[in-house]
Amino acid sequence: MGKKRKLREWRNGYLFILPSIIGFSVFVAYPMLSSLYYALTEWGGYDKPRFVGFANFKYLFTVDPAFWPSIRATFYFVLMSVPSSLILGLALAMLLNKGLPGIKWFRTIYYLPTIVPSIAALTLWLFIYEPQYGLANSLLRALGLPEGTWLTGETTALPSLVIIGLWQVGSGMIIFLSGLQSVPKDLYEAAEVDGAAKWRTTLNITIPMITPILFLQLIVGIIGAFQAFNQVQVLTGGGPNFATSLLNFKIYNDAFNNTMFGYAISEVWVLFVIIMVFTAITYRYSNRLVYYESDNSR
Amino acid sequence: MTMIRHDASVRTSAQQGAASKKHRNARLSGWDVVRYVILSIGAVGMLFPLLWMVTIALKSNNEVFAIPPEWIPKEMQWSNFVTGTREIHFWRTFGNSLFIAVLCTAGQVISSVLVGYGLGRLSFPGRKLWFSLFVGSLMLPGFVGMIPLYHLYTGLGWYDTWLPIIVPAFFGNATFSFLFVQYLKTISVSFDEAAKIDGASDWTVLVRVLAPMTAPVIVTMVIFAFQGSWNQYLEPLIYIISPEKWTLSLAMASYKGTYSTAWNLFMAADLIYILPMLLLFFFGQKYFMQGLGSMNASSLK
Repeated sequence: MGKKRKLREWRNGYLFILPSIIGFSVFVAYPMLSSLYYALTEWGGYDKPRFVGFANFKYLFTVDPAFWPSIRATFYFVLMSVPSSLILGLALAMLLNKGLPGIKWFRTIYYLPTIVPSIAALTLWLFIYEPQYGLANSLLRALGLPEGTWLTGETTALPSLVIIGLWQVGSGMIIFLSGLQSVPKDLYEAAEVDGAAKWRTTLNITIPMITPILFLQLIVGIIGAFQAFNQVQVLTGGGPNFATSLLNFKIYNDAFNNTMFGYAISEVWVLFVIIMVFTAITYRYSNRLVYYESDNSR
Repeated sequence: MTMIRHDASVRTSAQQGAASKKHRNARLSGWDVVRYVILSIGAVGMLFPLLWMVTIALKSNNEVFAIPPEWIPKEMQWSNFVTGTREIHFWRTFGNSLFIAVLCTAGQVISSVLVGYGLGRLSFPGRKLWFSLFVGSLMLPGFVGMIPLYHLYTGLGWYDTWLPIIVPAFFGNATFSFLFVQYLKTISVSFDEAAKIDGASDWTVLVRVLAPMTAPVIVTMVIFAFQGSWNQYLEPLIYIISPEKWTLSLAMASYKGTYSTAWNLFMAADLIYILPMLLLFFFGQKYFMQGLGSMNASSLK
């Protein structure tokens, strides 16, 4: 009797998770494993892949003139966008955390830009950055400041893309905010009884308690930023002079515009390894700063 | 549970605390005023691009390029919304996007709830392994599989159809399953057991007992899934060629190239593209915040 029930639970368990087992095998495991092979081939997508060993990687690292500029652009982008949106998101969440009159309106306003679909937002910013009639330069002119080159300048194009990301910082902010709200109130009360200063409670209670979320957001942010694509595809097309040629955009271009599938997959693996190394380093160095409540509770 | 770990250092600052206590008792402290000022400046920055968009959408084409620019249009050009939406074949692309989004949302939410129930409530050999495989796959960049999958789908004759976008949605979404598992932890297993003693099957337990209790997290998933599908750009860009199958994201992205001078029409169309997301968010806001809150409450532990 007991054994029969147990077997039924086993069977049901597998039935319930069956969608993800299939999904994992077909959409994750198969493409990953097969791309390991494709990376070593010359393949146009419609012909038969021809094994060429590490020739793709050799060409990538030593010949391809677009590779190093795009690595540089990718790193700049990650190093600019991840810390800035993390810090801004956390700062906003802390400002919006305390219940003040009208604070709900502010929360909604800061979240509003993230509701705007990616392509709608990007096309809007394309017009904002337009040199002559765009909002950005109109404002600068009205304030009597020199105009910016924005997307058309080699040094300004990438920061301009980062600014768009900061406009949509609300998605990170909301996660920090709900993290802040779930910090147990008794901690603050205990600190207040002890007469702790405000900045002290922030430094010694708030920050340590949300480090798990901060850490998770950092990892997710890094992985996301390395894969940025839409901004480049819609706004700059990689230019000017490779300044915004993020690696993921180059991969897309090599695969679907130049039909060099094998080559593009080898680039995918380079990007993949970069992301893994970056994540591992982050994990290694920030994990010891993360404060975990004791696990006995479960 | 560990209580305050830093109490020693907190106590040393008792003196500063006494000083700031007086402020805290007042209705609005000086710091609160500073907070309002900072938030207001930021809020203007957040809203400005959107307000600009609205004014452009209501201007005539001549006014858009007037120097100096006028903030409030002389005459509201409501007809921009009609013309602008016609330019992107709005109703057709809107219908396409809606159809895809509804199917993707249903597929992702239903399959993720099923998987979440299996992982969260049933015990079977290999459960932990599968759980870590699913969650681990979240760390993989999505594009790793892009090209082999493209090859697979074109081989199946799915090129220039919506199938590469819709079908995968029915095979679980690891984030959502994880979210559901986390939420289930907040509901006592005794509810399941009581129902099972009354002869309920796993299916009944999930649909009749747990689903109503997990409404906030399900609504959160619905909003995220719909938003994700509405925003999707790379997959449609790769797979959909025929304009009559385009989604709104494709239509807007290509509209920007062909009619780059008709800013007012473009902004009007862009606003209409945003509108469904605004409605979705405002109607689901309450549940959404609750669902997100629970996600964090559990990830804190």
